[in-house]
Amino acid sequence: MNRMKKVYPFTAIVGQEKKKKALILNIINPLLGGVLIRGEKGTAKSTAVRALAELLPEREQVCDCLFGCDPNDNSSMCDSCTEKKAKGQKFGTVLSKMRVIDLPVSATEDRVVGTLDIEHAIKYGEKKFEPGILAHSNRNILYVDEVNLLDDHVVDVLLDSAAMGVNTIEREGISFSHPAKFILVGTMNPEEGDLRPQLLDRFGLAVDVVGERDTAQRMEVIRRRLEFEEDPDSFALKFEGHQQELRERILSACQMLKKVRYDDIILDMAARISIELGVDGHRADIGMIKTAITIAAYNHREFVSGEDMLEAAELVLPHRMRRRPFEEGVMELSRVEGIIEAYGVKSN
Amino acid sequence: MKRKNVFPFCAVIGQDNIKTALILNAVNPSIGGVLISGQKGTAKSTLVRGLAALLKDTEVIDLPLNVTEDRLIGTIDIEKAIKSGQRSFEPGILMRAHGNILYVDEVNLLSDYIVNCLLEVSASRVNHVEREGISCCHPSSFVLAGTMNPEEGELRPQFLDRFGLFVEAKGSEHPAERKEIIKRRLEYENKPLEYIRRWEEETEKLCDRISKARQLLASVKVSESILKLASEISTEGNCAGHRAELALIETAKAMAAFDNRKYITALDVKNAAELALPHRIRKFPPQCMHEKKTENDKLEDDIENSNKNTKGTDETEENESNKEELQKQAENPPHMNPWEGMESPACVENSKGDGNDESVEDKIEAPGELYQIKPLNISAYDKKMRKGSGKRSRTKTSSLQGSYIRYTFPKGKVKDIAFDATLRAAAPCQKSREAGGVAVSIKSSDFREKVRKKRTGNTILFIVDASGSMGTRKRMKAVKGAILSILNDAYQKRDRVGMVAFRKDRAELVLGITRSVELAEKSLRELPTGGKTPLASGLYTGYEVLKAAMVKDPDIIPLIVLVSDGRANVSLKNDNPVEEALSAAKTIRAEGIRSLVIDTENDFIKLGLASKIAKAMGAEYLKLDELEQKEIESAVRSVI
Repeated sequence: MNRMKKVYPFTAIVGQEKKKKALILNIINPLLGGVLIRGEKGTAKSTAVRALAELLPEREQVCDCLFGCDPNDNSSMCDSCTEKKAKGQKFGTVLSKMRVIDLPVSATEDRVVGTLDIEHAIKYGEKKFEPGILAHSNRNILYVDEVNLLDDHVVDVLLDSAAMGVNTIEREGISFSHPAKFILVGTMNPEEGDLRPQLLDRFGLAVDVVGERDTAQRMEVIRRRLEFEEDPDSFALKFEGHQQELRERILSACQMLKKVRYDDIILDMAARISIELGVDGHRADIGMIKTAITIAAYNHREFVSGEDMLEAAELVLPHRMRRRPFEEGVMELSRVEGIIEAYGVKSN
Repeated sequence: MKRKNVFPFCAVIGQDNIKTALILNAVNPSIGGVLISGQKGTAKSTLVRGLAALLKDTEVIDLPLNVTEDRLIGTIDIEKAIKSGQRSFEPGILMRAHGNILYVDEVNLLSDYIVNCLLEVSASRVNHVEREGISCCHPSSFVLAGTMNPEEGELRPQFLDRFGLFVEAKGSEHPAERKEIIKRRLEYENKPLEYIRRWEEETEKLCDRISKARQLLASVKVSESILKLASEISTEGNCAGHRAELALIETAKAMAAFDNRKYITALDVKNAAELALPHRIRKFPPQCMHEKKTENDKLEDDIENSNKNTKGTDETEENESNKEELQKQAENPPHMNPWEGMESPACVENSKGDGNDESVEDKIEAPGELYQIKPLNISAYDKKMRKGSGKRSRTKTSSLQGSYIRYTFPKGKVKDIAFDATLRAAAPCQKSREAGGVAVSIKSSDFREKVRKKRTGNTILFIVDASGSMGTRKRMKAVKGAILSILNDAYQKRDRVGMVAFRKDRAELVLGITRSVELAEKSLRELPTGGKTPLASGLYTGYEVLKAAMVKDPDIIPLIVLVSDGRANVSLKNDNPVEEALSAAKTIRAEGIRSLVIDTENDFIKLGLASKIAKAMGAEYLKLDELEQKEIESAVRSVI
């Protein structure tokens, strides 16, 4: 990627702190369940996601495994790795970067879930599975631009595997299943139509972005963009320091993550917030706590604070507010704030 | 890939109904499966998977949404055919599911074609395979478990009836419970294996209890009085067919066995009714509604009726008192899911007559409540191939976009080759063919093409009368309620919508054709009423809007919904306003645009103008208060 085309550095994006934070939190803790970025056109939605690739940490994966299995995680390994491990075979591991896998809106179902390998079938008369996008996205970021325009049946299969972390294929003579745990990142412009609530709920976090309103900021946006287009390399070099700093911060947060503790009162708070705001199901509560923990880790703290909870609520709840089809899902942050304050934990 | 780690069944808090339903099915597979419907994030799938992990001799076979026909039913074994030239059967999912649990997540999203196959097999318990030169049959009896979120659309009535039990999943409202739920989930995610081990003892206990119950099941006696009770309950609930009683008895048997008893108590039957009847109870006895229908129609409608009317009823009282109770509940289904509103009070309010008041004053009335509307299944007139996506009308699709469900023989040039089917066709002939360096030689006679299917959404244009006559006596409230209900339906079916309103002296495009049903709702909410009734202008504007949309995208299926009392009194060019409206209606008909007229006339003296316009437009005609899905007879469906 580096050699082909320079990507606009993540740290060079002006403003949009919430969006950047949401993306970073997902890298630190892949269990958060992805981000949905909603906003007008031209608000650096796609730029930010693509820029993320540069920051992604390296992690261990099994050599030659189609799905890039984690050699230390028995529970979500593909069949062939599990078999090897059971036989006591050692497998070679490589360090490789997490990647951003694109799911284009025009993608066909067979390319998404995988299909019969035609070439192999003709040459050898054997059936072989040709992995699709979901296979590549295991342990990576699956990026869907304009996710609300995705074809209905593709959304259905996406839901299926997003929920289970497993892609099951029963089609075109192939019967196969493989791990498909991915961080789902979607961008959409709400003017183009809505996303189905079921898919909406699968996104762990959601942020709404708007263009900068401040003139000085807007000018800075243009200035940087022009500068980047003129000479991408030296522009990137200029931000290399920031980039490195952020990379290190992410890495240390990853290590920190397991150590973060939280009070019982924090759990109480999450439950109370969900009940008061009338959120469907329990995914929101769980998401809120996980996000708060990740925020604490990112801030290099070992303890979840009320402030973390507020920030987490802001990311986890907005897209889950809607209860009825046409009721506007307005999130009243002040109510969340009130609840948190009532617990005596300062939210400020 | 076998799922290794699943959240332990016993560690799930609450959701007792779901747990019971699942356990009972494990004890007694004759119950016929369970459908779990409910909000997102309420441990629906977790519980089904948990059950599978718990039972050692039963597997959960997944039926993914992307399944193709060949994998479901089974097909010719390609490898064997190529290597030895033998035709042998390669079993599909239905074979594997035999004696196991067949699990469909998001079951309401399953393609209709696959549902048909499933219906057939689940009824006969035998899978007959007649395809690709293979002819065989094998037993396939399975427990069907499905989960669905009703926001995504409803299930076909006939399919619904196949599920023995129906339970609703809801999130907990108790802070302490919610807290514990979060805690357990986080602990599990932190160290899954350790967590599962911690629950092993409990899991073991439950597993033992289930296997004991299974052994006991055969010796559970069903007494005459219990049989009588069960059939009485089913009759009171106006359940269709006899599947209700059977499910009821089987469930009660399993309950007794699980309680280590050899006899069934009245309480067992009562509890069983809570699980087995909610999706089968309906309001009206079938015979008074469609006497003239053929047997076949009747059966289907009966089942449909049971679905639509009383989804929400889930409590049944003991024998004697339950007559009244059931009746009452059936008439007023409790408000269980937000998408299926109650009967709209607005409609009732509305039934008094009112004068034709033409006040020029504008007012904005809030819409009435949402309700479930009758199915508007408007299918395409023709066999034209269409692109586009949505869920209302089925159409074959020529783009490579739809879901591949089966293959066919190609006509003309092969564009979308179904490779698997082609290979299967070629496979048995390999022994006798020359292979030029490859393992399989394929001739043009082997070619098969994919059949893809998808539903295209309709493009619905509302033409709304916003004149003063609509503003009186809360009539607009009922109208808005009605349109919102259609919009709600449009949302589930992924239709595109637009809206034209006419009042004072002209019509106005309030909302261009959009996919965002939300925008339509917003503009409807803000729609003012007042002034005269330029109906012809409204119709022409609507016609032009749709015409333009059709030019832009010839694949759309347009539909006009006219909401008016038809009392036109403003003309386009000094003609008779009613005549003008009629001629506009004829233009629309001539263009082949489908339409539906919702008549809002409820004045004391009825002029019946809207029905005349409906006739001229070739439209389906409904009175405002007929729109609601409370009766089975669906006028709209008959158009198809």
